[in-house]
Amino acid sequence: MGEKVIPSSLAEALDFLSTHDCNIVAGGSDIMLQKKNTAGLLPRFDKDVLFISNLRELHYERKEDDSVHIGATMTLEEILDHTITPQVLKDCLSELASSNIRHFATLPGNIANASPAGDTIVVEILLDAMVKLTSKTGSRYVKVEDFVKGVRKIDLHNDELIEEVIYPSNDYDVIKWFKVGSRKAESISKVSFAGAYKIEGGKIKSISIAFGSVFMKAIRSHELEKELIGMSLKELSSSIEEFVSKYSNVISPIDDQRSNKTYRRNVAENIVREFLKEIK
Amino acid sequence: MARINFILNHQALSIDVDPSKRLLDFIRDDMHLSGTKEGCGEGSCGACVVLMDGYSVNSCLIPMANVVGHEIITIDGFKKTEEFKVLSEAFAEEGGSQCGFCTPGMIIASQSLLSHNPHPSEEEIRHALAGNLCRCTGYQAIIHAVQLASKIGGKLWEKK
Repeated sequence: MGEKVIPSSLAEALDFLSTHDCNIVAGGSDIMLQKKNTAGLLPRFDKDVLFISNLRELHYERKEDDSVHIGATMTLEEILDHTITPQVLKDCLSELASSNIRHFATLPGNIANASPAGDTIVVEILLDAMVKLTSKTGSRYVKVEDFVKGVRKIDLHNDELIEEVIYPSNDYDVIKWFKVGSRKAESISKVSFAGAYKIEGGKIKSISIAFGSVFMKAIRSHELEKELIGMSLKELSSSIEEFVSKYSNVISPIDDQRSNKTYRRNVAENIVREFLKEIK
Repeated sequence: MARINFILNHQALSIDVDPSKRLLDFIRDDMHLSGTKEGCGEGSCGACVVLMDGYSVNSCLIPMANVVGHEIITIDGFKKTEEFKVLSEAFAEEGGSQCGFCTPGMIIASQSLLSHNPHPSEEEIRHALAGNLCRCTGYQAIIHAVQLASKIGGKLWEKK
C-alpha cells in the first residue's frame, strides 16, 4: 500500500488496477477534499492512488450512432463548451460548482462520488445515460441509474475505471433542468429536478422525471412514468394533484445541514406540479 | 515520489515530489511563491486559484500528479505581464481590493475570463467570478474593475 502512480496510457492504468486496490483520481475536486489534511501535509489517502487526469486517450467528446460519448478526462467546462453536449447537461453544468472547479473536475468524478446531491447524476438518470466500465479483461456498460447504488456506493469492481459516459439520443420535445440551492454558484443542491416529455396526437408518448437530493440517490420512478404514458393532455390536467402526491410518496428527503425534509418535500412537490402543468 | 515535469511561471521544472501533494503547498512551501493564498482549502473561496493552461483552477484541490505536462502561472508569475498591469490599475481605480486576501485569486480568475472572452457582459463576469469570495468589497467594485480592465485593455486580450 501507499503506491501513487501516474500512468502514461490507459493500458498501463488498467494493468495497475488489475493488481491494486486504488483510489482513482481524475480532476480531484471531490476526493482531494475528502482526503484533505492540515495545510502543508499530504492528503490522507488510505489506499494506493491512480492519477488518470493526464490520459489523453480519454480526452474526447464525440458522436457515435447518435449517442454522445464523453471521455473520462474531459473537464466539466470543456463539456459545457462542446457543441454536441445535450442542452440539459449544459444547463446542469452551468450551475454546478464554479468555473474554477469546472476547469478541472470531470463527469465520471461527479458520478463515482455518488452523492445524493450529485447534480449530473439526475440528468444521466433522466436520459438513460450509461457508463463504460473498463478493466484489463474487457468492458461492460451499466446505466448510471444502476451504477449508483446508494450514498457513496457504486457498482465498480476493483480492477475497473469509468472510461466514458454515454448519452444516448432521445426524441423528447421538451427537457428541463431545475436546481434549488442556497446561491447561484458552488451550491450543493437542496433539491434538483430534471424532466422530459414527448407529446404525440394529444397524448403523452414518452416521459421521464428525475429528482436529486430527496432520496439516498438520484431517483426516477419508471412505474409512475408508465402510468403517465398514453394519457391524454385532458386526463393529465385532471390528475396532476394525484401524481404530485404519488411522486411525493416516491421521494424520501432528509434533514441535513443544507435543508430540512419538510422544505425539500414541499419544493419537490411544487416543481413536479409545475412541470406537469406545463406539459402541452 | 515521482518525477513531475511541468512549466511553472514560464520556467520548465523537473522535480521529484509526492504526486498527491497539493499544488498549493508546492507553490507556497517549496517554491516560496506566497502571492497565492489559502483561504478555505476546500475549493469554495478561490483565494488559491492559479492558471492551468490559461484557465483558473483551485490549487488547493489539484494534486501535483495532475500538473504533469501543463503550464501553471501563479500570481507571482502573472504580475510581470501587461495584462496584470491593466487589471491591477483597474482594481486600484475601482476600489476592487480592500484587505487584499482575495485579490490574487480575483486577478487570476479575471485573467482566465478575459483571455477567453475579452468583452464579457456583467452577467458573464459574475458567472466567471462566482467561485471567488470577497468579504470586503461587496463585489460591485470588483465587477466594475473587470469591466474597466476590459475597456482599457481590450485589445491586449483580443490579440491572444
